[in-house]
Amino acid sequence: MTQEISDGDEVLREEVRAWLADNWKGLPKPQPGAGGAGWGASAEQKAWLRKVVEARWAVTRWPTEWYGRGLSDAQARIVEREFSKVGAPGAGQDRTNLWANTLLAKGTPALKARLIAPLLCSEVGMCLLYSEPGAGSDLAGVRTRADRKGENFIVNGQKVWTSGAATADYGMLIARTDWDVPKHMGISFIFLPMKQPGVEVRPLHQITGESHFNEVFITDATAPVENLLGELNTGWSVLQTALAYERSVMGEGARGPRSGALEAKSEEPLIALAREAGVLGDPVLRQDIARVIAYKRLNALNTARAKADLAQGTSSPVMSLGKLAMSRILHEEAKVRTAILGAGSLLEGPDHPRAEDANFLTLNAYFTSIGGGTDQIQRNIIGERVLGLPKEPEVDRDVPFRQVRGG
Amino acid sequence: MATLSPEERAALRDSVSRLLADHSAEADVRRTMETEAGYDAELWRKLADMGVIGLVIEEAYGGAGAGPVELELVMEEAGAALLCSPLLASGVLAAELLRALGDEDAKTRLLPGIAAGTSIMTVAMTGPRGEWTEDSIEVHATEQDGAWRLDGVADYVLHAQNADVLLVLAHAANEVLAFEVDPALVQIKPLPTFDHTLRLARIGFAGVSARRLNATGPVWDAVQQALNLALVALAGEQAGGARRCLEFTVDYAKSRIQFGRAIGSFQAVKHMAADLLLESESAISAARNAAQRLADGADDADAAISLAAFACADAFAQVTATSIQMHGGIAFTWVHPAHLYLRRARADAQLFGPPSEYRERYLEQLGA
Repeated sequence: MTQEISDGDEVLREEVRAWLADNWKGLPKPQPGAGGAGWGASAEQKAWLRKVVEARWAVTRWPTEWYGRGLSDAQARIVEREFSKVGAPGAGQDRTNLWANTLLAKGTPALKARLIAPLLCSEVGMCLLYSEPGAGSDLAGVRTRADRKGENFIVNGQKVWTSGAATADYGMLIARTDWDVPKHMGISFIFLPMKQPGVEVRPLHQITGESHFNEVFITDATAPVENLLGELNTGWSVLQTALAYERSVMGEGARGPRSGALEAKSEEPLIALAREAGVLGDPVLRQDIARVIAYKRLNALNTARAKADLAQGTSSPVMSLGKLAMSRILHEEAKVRTAILGAGSLLEGPDHPRAEDANFLTLNAYFTSIGGGTDQIQRNIIGERVLGLPKEPEVDRDVPFRQVRGG
Repeated sequence: MATLSPEERAALRDSVSRLLADHSAEADVRRTMETEAGYDAELWRKLADMGVIGLVIEEAYGGAGAGPVELELVMEEAGAALLCSPLLASGVLAAELLRALGDEDAKTRLLPGIAAGTSIMTVAMTGPRGEWTEDSIEVHATEQDGAWRLDGVADYVLHAQNADVLLVLAHAANEVLAFEVDPALVQIKPLPTFDHTLRLARIGFAGVSARRLNATGPVWDAVQQALNLALVALAGEQAGGARRCLEFTVDYAKSRIQFGRAIGSFQAVKHMAADLLLESESAISAARNAAQRLADGADDADAAISLAAFACADAFAQVTATSIQMHGGIAFTWVHPAHLYLRRARADAQLFGPPSEYRERYLEQLGA
């Protein structure tokens, strides 16, 4: 694909380069350990992000009143490319910062003024308060309630699968604000302050032995009315906006084939494992290994094709298949790893790292096949939105939520 | 190899699609598959006029001079329409073998006829097990006073009963050689095929005189080159067939009403459709990738072709088999087209070797 480069684009490129040359001095490597990677930015990172935001490089597509430059997508990509060339973080947050994007789209002026800059500078931590013990696949069935009292909402209920809850300053909460209308119509979307006595965070212990998620118990917690996003009782549509940002960020992360001629460049991990275990000659295992490698490769090819279609302006059914494909890849790879190890997979612990890998993958594959919508929900979405098959009749449709069965 | 612009490609695809919609609809396929020849001479001529039969033949020899990418696209349409024709045998396998051998005299004499559709050619190579390996060749060549004679059997030969020229691979003293044989001199026994849209025959050679074809390199390399292009074409056919079969299955699931609602609204049916979409889209990705890698002359083209060979074969087989189950009783009847696609899928999955063989090759090509 060729791209017309206008003079204006060249001026912009020079401006970014000059600014980076003057300001970017690198950042110290993040300290390992201590709370896990990714959560909480260092003081140096925050200072750098503040610079990027003030120089209007963080969200160049956004309007000027919110730290942006109103650039086109193509121009914004020029900025992002220059940042990524030197390894500087902070640009392109108008694509990647779920919190700030949702807030810009739906927040009140007061909340935007208070939080947009801190969000872009990673000065405030965020978490998602969506799922509940009784509202998993059926997210619109949330029973956490937010009742208006004066200038505040009083929030009561329980949320689950919340990562980052312990360190977050705010949670993006969906809660029921009207019980006498059908389920999608009585939900509101609120930035709930997390550091208050009514919010209790308890870690969840996963089947892998890790704890990446929390339960959040909310008892008479308060959120000011200005923290409401969108109108009262339109939270479901705000949620769709937020989910769309989340998915597009996940889509950005999806990797295509490693840029062409790499079909056999580095050895596939499964082949290496079978070789090490001395079973690479087993014809049955070879068939299974080839199948799993093919699943991975096909998924990469599908993703590349979807991206090419999108770049040409045609939508592709393939993008929605990625998550389903990934579930299969992980579960099948776990099976083949286990088959390669045989009795070795009975063991665990630091002396048995191959067994640890296979057994961890066996359990953690469910992270993908259940998390973010189960494979079954994903098949419904593909069947209905891509193939156009009709929905199942919903017994709780058009029924006041108060009368809907839960549990 | 010349390649077309994206616009030219789309135009080619559209015109093939329209031609096949008019002349290879279900009724045409059913009528044609019951004929002895197994292809429609008028449609064959139209395909030739459109440049489809000589698509990958060089322009100097009367072809369109296109490459694997265009071939794959056209074959997607052919697969979708269950086209009955010797295209794969003549315009792809035989034509590419002639090009790969590089015998200038043979190319000049034979390729223009193939491209024009006035001559049908096929490659006779596989033995009684139908394998495309050097060892499985059961024809032997002997030379006396500069004249070559062939003895033995070639089995599962594509469209041999329609060919006016046979390209035969045979063992000579210590190498495989390629020969041109007049089909009038051999015994051709048409084979009854499970896929009625396919034509296969067994050829018996008994001291048949043959013209040896010169080769600029090892003959077996030329065979591999021809087979690679044929595999790309076949992958396209499988991907296109899978996609079409899924389309009419989903359409049926939207219109068939049981228990007061479309059966496609039941998750039991809907989830099958979603899984098949993953299969058929993956097949399209694999087939197009193989075509592109081959066109690019990439180092990993062989692996990409092996991947497409088994991924597309498995996808077409799974989509067509599941399609019958999703339809229910109606697709258990002869008059419903689903079984025609299943038959084609099962044939395509064996034509150049089974999926398991290509999985094994894929692993070898990845260094295992």
